Amino acid sequence: MRGLIGNISRYALHDGPGIRTTVFLKGCPLHCPWCHNPELISHEPEVAFYAERCISCGDCQAVCPEDAILMHGEKRIDHTRCTGCGLCTKSCPAIALVMIGREYELEELVEVLLRDRHFFEVSGGGVTLSGGEPTQQLEFTASLLERLHNEGIHTTIESNGIFPRETFASTCLDHLDLILFDLKCIDSAWHQEVVGRGNERILENLSCLLKTRARDVIVRIPVIPGHTATPENIGQIADHLRKLNVCRYSLLPYHPFGCSKAAALGKIQKNSLPEQAMEQDKLGQWQEFFHGIERVLP
Amino acid sequence: MTAVTLDEIGLKEFTLESLPRLKELRTQYFSRQPEICIERARYVTQYLREHDDSAHSPELRQAKKVEYFLRHKSARFHDRNLIAGNTTSKALGAPLFPEFFALTLWPELETVSDRKKNPQKLTASEASELNLEIFPFWMDKNVLEVTRSQFDNPECLQLFEKLVFFIAAKAGCISHAVPTYTSMLQYGLSGLIKKAAEYEEELAGVTDADAEQKADFFRAVQISLQGIIVHAEHLAEEAKELATVADDPKDAAEFTAMAAVCRSVPVGPATTFREAVNAIWICQVGIHAENINMAMSPGRLDQILYPYYKQDIAEGRLDIGRAMELVGCLWLKIADNVTMVPEASEELFGGAGTVPAITLGGVGKDGEDAVNDLTYIMLRATELLGIRDPNVNARYDYEKNSQDYCRRVSEVILNTKSVPAFFNDKANITALCGQGERLEHARDYAVIGCVELASSGRDYPASSSIMMNLAAALEMALFGGKRPITGEEQIGPATPDPSELRSFEEFWKIFKIQLDWLIEQAITLNEYMGAVHQEMMPSPLLSALFIGPMDKGVDLIRGGALYNSSGATHIAFADVVDSLSAIEQTVFIEKKYTFNDVLEQVRGNFSGQKGVKMRLYLKNHTPKYGTEAVIARKNAHNMIQHLFEKYQSHTNYRGGPYHPSYWTMTNHAGLGGISGALPHGRKAGEVFSSGITPVSGAAPELTACLNAVAELGGECVPGCWALNIKYTPESDVAIMAERFAQTIEAYFRAGGQQVQFNIMTYEMLLDAKKHPEKYPELMVRVSGYSAYFKDLNEMMKDELITRTQYGLDDGRVVPLPPEAKRRH
Repeated sequence: MRGLIGNISRYALHDGPGIRTTVFLKGCPLHCPWCHNPELISHEPEVAFYAERCISCGDCQAVCPEDAILMHGEKRIDHTRCTGCGLCTKSCPAIALVMIGREYELEELVEVLLRDRHFFEVSGGGVTLSGGEPTQQLEFTASLLERLHNEGIHTTIESNGIFPRETFASTCLDHLDLILFDLKCIDSAWHQEVVGRGNERILENLSCLLKTRARDVIVRIPVIPGHTATPENIGQIADHLRKLNVCRYSLLPYHPFGCSKAAALGKIQKNSLPEQAMEQDKLGQWQEFFHGIERVLP
Repeated sequence: MTAVTLDEIGLKEFTLESLPRLKELRTQYFSRQPEICIERARYVTQYLREHDDSAHSPELRQAKKVEYFLRHKSARFHDRNLIAGNTTSKALGAPLFPEFFALTLWPELETVSDRKKNPQKLTASEASELNLEIFPFWMDKNVLEVTRSQFDNPECLQLFEKLVFFIAAKAGCISHAVPTYTSMLQYGLSGLIKKAAEYEEELAGVTDADAEQKADFFRAVQISLQGIIVHAEHLAEEAKELATVADDPKDAAEFTAMAAVCRSVPVGPATTFREAVNAIWICQVGIHAENINMAMSPGRLDQILYPYYKQDIAEGRLDIGRAMELVGCLWLKIADNVTMVPEASEELFGGAGTVPAITLGGVGKDGEDAVNDLTYIMLRATELLGIRDPNVNARYDYEKNSQDYCRRVSEVILNTKSVPAFFNDKANITALCGQGERLEHARDYAVIGCVELASSGRDYPASSSIMMNLAAALEMALFGGKRPITGEEQIGPATPDPSELRSFEEFWKIFKIQLDWLIEQAITLNEYMGAVHQEMMPSPLLSALFIGPMDKGVDLIRGGALYNSSGATHIAFADVVDSLSAIEQTVFIEKKYTFNDVLEQVRGNFSGQKGVKMRLYLKNHTPKYGTEAVIARKNAHNMIQHLFEKYQSHTNYRGGPYHPSYWTMTNHAGLGGISGALPHGRKAGEVFSSGITPVSGAAPELTACLNAVAELGGECVPGCWALNIKYTPESDVAIMAERFAQTIEAYFRAGGQQVQFNIMTYEMLLDAKKHPEKYPELMVRVSGYSAYFKDLNEMMKDELITRTQYGLDDGRVVPLPPEAKRRH
């Protein structure tokens, strides 16, 4: 069984307890304009281009079978022609062209993850599956979680909440120790318009999950100026969480991580977003809405 | 059962403000300029010229020479340090050992005081005495010249003198040992002398040559120890004299107390903590009358001194503050000397201290937690003083020592930004047991000099015998036994042109032919020089402070110790492994380049468009040591394994094994500076990576890097290694210390033997290079020891600046700022 992995981030400290390895699976059904990992939205491998590294040697053009290399201008890849075969990335001496997304056999991935077992053990850490949306590759995710649990590794998932509830419950849930569940907005019409899908299933999945695993769920709310960060939206989310008896939440402050990554893929993020990151200590005004629920630092 | 009774192991209530004596001594220390002290050179020359009897055994001649010097050595008190005794006549002195390299000073007598980099002061009259009286006597009498004449200027010696293949350290020292002070403290030197006299007497009736030699040895022990006793008496007399002339009654009382201490110890058994501390120091001074001041390491002082500390505390004679003051005074005494460094060496290898190592914590001989209150007192003193020497090291057994201890050591490292270094008990004890040491002896290991290991007082390890440049072997394999720096001269075996090879295995074989040839040369020279040391420089005084020589009646230099290893360390490990992997990957697996393509670019230093492109490809697309790339792991493992087997197939002149190790002092910068381009994309002249550390920038992930290094640890590295890790400092030390400690523990669980840190940013080091005056006390870890950044040469400064910096908040490499990139 193979999974398409965008990145493996070791020594991750902000994706659950302790020192962790976070696996970023490729593919996501949402298109949040502020996405931190825009290179992981597509379900296919992609080639990214980092212009500042390029020495204009032309080796990429020489190997490309699709004639998808543009040697002039700021873009190097004609994404309409590129099939993501990756030949150019292998020949590029300067790693200006980089493949995003690599298929891993399950055991191959497990072997990489187990390498940091000592770091997990001494710190109470483990493995976190993130994305993209890891449940988009549900079968792979389920097998991976089971395999890790059999090795005694603490597991965490970061999910946007869109998953087939019953399959997720029957194949993944027993092998998960912690679920970081994103909630962006209560108003479904807004949700549809801004991120591309309504939120009915997300809300249903959250409420079901809380019935059996309330202690293991942390609801995470991205605080995005101009989007989610309105008193109305945050207030509605807080009310909803209280209604559902959510135990723990955390606020994810906005960061313009995604902008440069999107540019490398030839995608432009909406310029309605600020260029500056929001600082953790600027979240105070939003925390007040969540009175009575335990806040967890991301 | 833990021996720790402190409520607060950080001992934060003790500061330099609350310990004004330490503050004052520390300020004086940093304001002092080193001065060359010619006393030793003067008196050993005088002795040899006027009193030496060549009919006597080498041990006896050495003992009398040492005793003569100690009898004439001046007894001075330079400051308010509570401990009596100095290594030299100067407050911060460089003693001269004409038996070794002192003559290199001869052409620089007039310039050494005023040279730009690290000047060492020499008075005009003393320079003249050296020039006219002392140096002429030694022209053909130092170890190097004696070896040359005795062995007919052998090939191996000529190779060593080119300085770019290997260094035969015995031309400059053996030292590098950890004596045991336990019986000295228990019986006093008079007790040791009595024992030697009894043994000598037992042999009186026996007439065979062996018995005569042993009797001579025991006589030599008595004579040399007597030298220390006489020097202690002189210290007592001087202190008494100073007490009588002191204006301030407090000063007078202090001198009177010191006089009393020097009358009691080391001649007699130590009865108090203070006496024990001073006895150890006077013996260190004595050892340096016989052996050069290089890495002579006091060892596990928190263990040796603990009974005296505990008893004094119990009987109310001592409190923690006073104990810390005495420990701090000892640390500053240990820092009272430097080595004499001629300008040429300063350029290539400058900035080192004398690296006397002190080892704290870990487990005891019984395998149980040995951390005690004194461990924490010594850690606090180390944290407060922040000085280069002594080189303080912390042992850690992750199963037996508490996590509080690990966190506390971590905190000291974060606060000092560099010390102590961390040693993994499990891996290091395994490594020593693999050399046939008994478990309880291995558990009692201490660190020598940089990182080397030896069972305290049981192993006479000559741990710095050989420093092998692995890049020399690689270049010779690439160019049929020649090196760019030595031109057309055929150095090693004429191996085939690599462009004709069909597989990587064939190249690996050629590399091993060149490497093994160099190792044979280095070992041959080490054996020759060992024989010269046996005749010229035995160590009866040091032998008395070891377990073995007194039982066997045999000097250390003839194999008197219980264990008798020799150490061989290696330079450019990571660079050579990466080059091998780059060749294997691009020439033999991908077939992207021919071997000729690579050789052409290596010869041409990757110049021109083609060169730039290939260099980028080699840097970016080949397997790197410090990642978990299969080929890199295989080649690193094979290198370690091969070196281990090669050295272990030899037995040294004392009957012991050769221990490979991986630490480089500043040699990786010096030798890198004169080496040609290499196939992993390193340009000519760039520094090599230090110790066992991956090449700068080659290991982007912290955990992968630590895993890749750790898996090499254990039995094949009995001499240990130096792994340098640089972390970005964070504002919250407590939070950082937690992750820091966890990361070390994980690395140790994976098998890592040692790790040392610099907690600093690229930017800070760049600023320190630009504005040295702003950072007079900035201490950095080089490779196994600490140095003041300002003292290092420019190349070494650049090496420290460009070392990979990891953020402990994400385990990622912090990108190198553009101004830090080397301009080539």
